[in-house]
Amino acid sequence: MIQAILDAVSLGGVYALAALGLGLVFGVMRLVNFAHAELITVASYTLVMTHQFPLVVSIVLSVVAASLMALLMELLAYRRLRGSNPATMLIVSFGVSVLLQKVYELVFGALPRSASVATGLTGAFTVGGVSITIASVVTIVLAVVILLAMGYLIERTKLGLQLRAAASDFQTARLLGVRSNRLIASAFVISGALAAVVAFVNVVGNPQVDPRFGLDITILALVGIVVGGMNSLRGSALGGFIVGAVLSLLNVILGNGRVYAYSWMFVIVIVILLVRPGGILSKFATKERV
Amino acid sequence: MTLFEVRDLRAGYGKVDVLFGVSLTASKGELIGIVGPNGAGKSTLFGAIVGTVGLRGGSVFLDGEDISGKRPEDIVRRGLSLVPEGRQIFSGLSVIENLTLGLTGRRDKHGEKGALERVHDLFPVLTTHRDHQAGMLSGGQQQQLAIARALVADPRVLLLDEPSLGLSPTVVKDVFDRLIAIAESGTAVVIVEQRAHLVTRLAERTHVLRAGKLQATLTKEDAADEAKLTAAYFGNSGE
Repeated sequence: MIQAILDAVSLGGVYALAALGLGLVFGVMRLVNFAHAELITVASYTLVMTHQFPLVVSIVLSVVAASLMALLMELLAYRRLRGSNPATMLIVSFGVSVLLQKVYELVFGALPRSASVATGLTGAFTVGGVSITIASVVTIVLAVVILLAMGYLIERTKLGLQLRAAASDFQTARLLGVRSNRLIASAFVISGALAAVVAFVNVVGNPQVDPRFGLDITILALVGIVVGGMNSLRGSALGGFIVGAVLSLLNVILGNGRVYAYSWMFVIVIVILLVRPGGILSKFATKERV
Repeated sequence: MTLFEVRDLRAGYGKVDVLFGVSLTASKGELIGIVGPNGAGKSTLFGAIVGTVGLRGGSVFLDGEDISGKRPEDIVRRGLSLVPEGRQIFSGLSVIENLTLGLTGRRDKHGEKGALERVHDLFPVLTTHRDHQAGMLSGGQQQQLAIARALVADPRVLLLDEPSLGLSPTVVKDVFDRLIAIAESGTAVVIVEQRAHLVTRLAERTHVLRAGKLQATLTKEDAADEAKLTAAYFGNSGE
């Protein structure tokens, strides 16, 4: 049971980081960046391809790769679309996602690339007769540290203040001197760095990286930011955490019926959205459309 | 000496032209009014000046430098700030966070502390509510915050779009008294108002904008003549 709770908190933390990365970009651009999955994938490939390097070097390289990829996405694809309607940007992000998957396929092949990354984290230890995996503890610590650091960045720094202001009203923020290009680029770079952290945790648990490696977690993180409230960074992180934790617990609770874990999770998501249509932390009421 | 000049400005949205060659000037410490009915193009004029509405022709000069077509974030750094219509404060942020954002557009980063002190002197109520959420302030307090937020950037020219909107007469008088003080300190103040009488009695010159063109320019004395003002505002004798 303790391991199940730790796994739930651990998976929740990972999804919280993924959702926060998506939420940051959504906040400043109103872009649901579906291609966030490919940031996770490129970071994962980097970890696998550099597994023979010291772990720290490998991690730094994966952060650089994902951040650079995020920056290139912004410069080459999304910058010209600023001001377009969200549906247009979403479709373009699908396009970027598919294009990058094909690029990864050409470069790394369609079959999974595998390597042991951070082998020291794959063991387990026993506390009071309960076996606990090192990976789940490290994941929780990593998620907590990074979420706290992100909390500090967003709540206590000038960059964070500008990100919050831009998420609320970008045009007014620009009128006050907030540099739009720099701020959006920063959001993408941070989003890439968060994707790299998510990649690290996932690769440790499952070092079989293929071109669609980041897809599942990104889809569920997207569900998370809707559940938490798309207009709130705290909401995004909370929603991501809920989705990850609930999914993990359902897998344990359902036992042999775990094949229905996704179905039950979406039932819970629908119930949450029926009660809080704008998401758990959203301040905005829904508008009647029909 | 002219500090701010708009020369033959043309602007619009999509296929619709809204401004058809608007020109005006303001000197240091001057208070200029722009009045006109709904749809005259007043907010579009300010939008075109600060770079949020695309220019279709003409120029904007600030202290001799052509700033037309520059991005909003670059224009504020050159010393031209806008207090937008409806105040547009960040209601989820605190008062001090709103003011801190205003500092982003300052050229002189060393003077930030002094700038905050000056606006707290000018608007003491903001000190009282320093850590309160801006959205919890009254309408008048929010307007003061919007003006203070623009002022901390140390603008040489301050544009205000409908500063009286949604405010009671007492609060409007209070806000306009502060604007006079701001102009007296050397900042050129340009106010757009639909309620003409609020600005005509204060402004050295009031331009009447109608159908995207400046139709008349009135001195304080001209504007005191109700018939003259009405004729300029509505484009007829007012009968």
